[in-house]
Amino acid sequence: MRRKVRVDFDELNVGESVAYILATEFGLKPNIVKAQVNDDSSGLMIFIVDGEEELLDKAMGRLKSMGFEVRDLEKHITRDKARCWSCGACVSICPSKSFTYDPETWEVHLDIDTCIACGSCVTSCSVKALKLNI
Amino acid sequence: MAKTYEEINEKIRSKKAVVCTAEEVVDLVRKKGVEKAAEEVDVVTTGTFGAMCSSGAFLNFGHSTPPIRMTNILLNGVQAYGGLAAVDTYIGATQMTEDSEKGYGGAHVIEDLIAGKDIHLRATGPGTDCYVRKEIDTYVSLDDLNEAYLYNPRNSYQNYGVATNTSDKALYTYMGKLLPKMKNASYSSAGQLSPLLNDPHCDVIGIGTRIFLGGGEGYVSWQGTQFKTDVEEVGGVPVAGARTLAVIGDMKQMDPYYVRGLDIHGYGISLALGIGVPLPILDEGVMARAAVSDEDLFAEMLDYSLPSGRVPMARYSYAQLRSGKIEYQGKTIRTSSMSSYAGAKKVAQELKDRIERGEFLLNAPSLMLPKAGSVKPLKVREARRCAER
Repeated sequence: MRRKVRVDFDELNVGESVAYILATEFGLKPNIVKAQVNDDSSGLMIFIVDGEEELLDKAMGRLKSMGFEVRDLEKHITRDKARCWSCGACVSICPSKSFTYDPETWEVHLDIDTCIACGSCVTSCSVKALKLNI
Repeated sequence: MAKTYEEINEKIRSKKAVVCTAEEVVDLVRKKGVEKAAEEVDVVTTGTFGAMCSSGAFLNFGHSTPPIRMTNILLNGVQAYGGLAAVDTYIGATQMTEDSEKGYGGAHVIEDLIAGKDIHLRATGPGTDCYVRKEIDTYVSLDDLNEAYLYNPRNSYQNYGVATNTSDKALYTYMGKLLPKMKNASYSSAGQLSPLLNDPHCDVIGIGTRIFLGGGEGYVSWQGTQFKTDVEEVGGVPVAGARTLAVIGDMKQMDPYYVRGLDIHGYGISLALGIGVPLPILDEGVMARAAVSDEDLFAEMLDYSLPSGRVPMARYSYAQLRSGKIEYQGKTIRTSSMSSYAGAKKVAQELKDRIERGEFLLNAPSLMLPKAGSVKPLKVREARRCAER
């Protein structure tokens, strides 16, 4: 299965390699789609992790025990469908091609499963219909 | 077999008119041919729903007691024009708010009015013997206004360039976000549904043509600004921005779904507006031109990283642009639109429904638009002396 997680860290664990732990200790396949370190050594990473559910649960438990804050991202991007006017300004700029035109109605669809939470679409939206919740 | 406006309107009144959208006639003409289609179809409806910056509204507030001659006018913090008569104003779509609330402008005031919301009106005036009041602070809604009508100097562009970016950094333009190194391209026309691409020389669209404007009924009032005809054509249709329409319509009839304030990142405020023009199928010529498809309509790609002097880089059909990717010098460029094709379809369908229900009659133009026009650039120059004039 695939899980999207946000991992927050601080000065105590900023030096740990989370991706290495996920890969070597649990045999998971982590993809870091966002990483950010603040001036006070705190920061966050966003992972898309592939692997067996049981191992994913164990791995997240292990990260929590190391002092990381771990949160599953579910509705990490939301769209106000009443505001969206289906122009498509988000379509060609999305790195994961999560926005597509319906070939019949030409309404813009969002596939949240492929979204990597980069936030590029948020500023591209002229009616502020998109919100990143990470 | 030629038809007249009166014959078509008679059919509309008796709910017998045959109406197709500009999309539907593409297949119809392919199957039955122009001659047969022109006989069968009475009206073809077009539609477009895009950012139309050159838009705005005339409003009349009515007189307060005591009255004021408003010279400095703010609507939800957005400056409106104070150089008309005492309580008349014009609010332009792209005017931005002066206070800290960003991303709000004239287009949003127009949308909020049409949505029936209260608008904060603050105005000051000089105070004169006939208009003694010097300031006013109140709220108005669309129902309170005596008149409220959109008057848009340039809408419904006949074709438009495709924007890309050859530079190393992302650009935020009125054509949306343009990724570095030509990673994407943005187009804007509704192509085969667009009003002026279906009547490319304005043989039937003229001053007085009744149109669908923002959900209500409007009219073509004049040629739009920057109206030009000296543009290269393919198959009798311009491949770049050419003709434009000035339009007018009562805001009290409009629907906020089709009139929306836009905040285009890095550019500013604009108005998304749905416009539909019905084309009377008077003869085979009108039918043939209205049957144009995205495969036959072309637009030129321009490099928006150049501040001016953009030379067309390549030409693509709207069918190619709508496929989601185009090729340029061996490179694949992802494409998407800055206008809503879904919205354009809705406009054309809604206009079709109204005509079929007998609710929307065609109005023959009282004057045709100019047959020729060109656009002059603005020169930066010294004042001419009288003798040289």
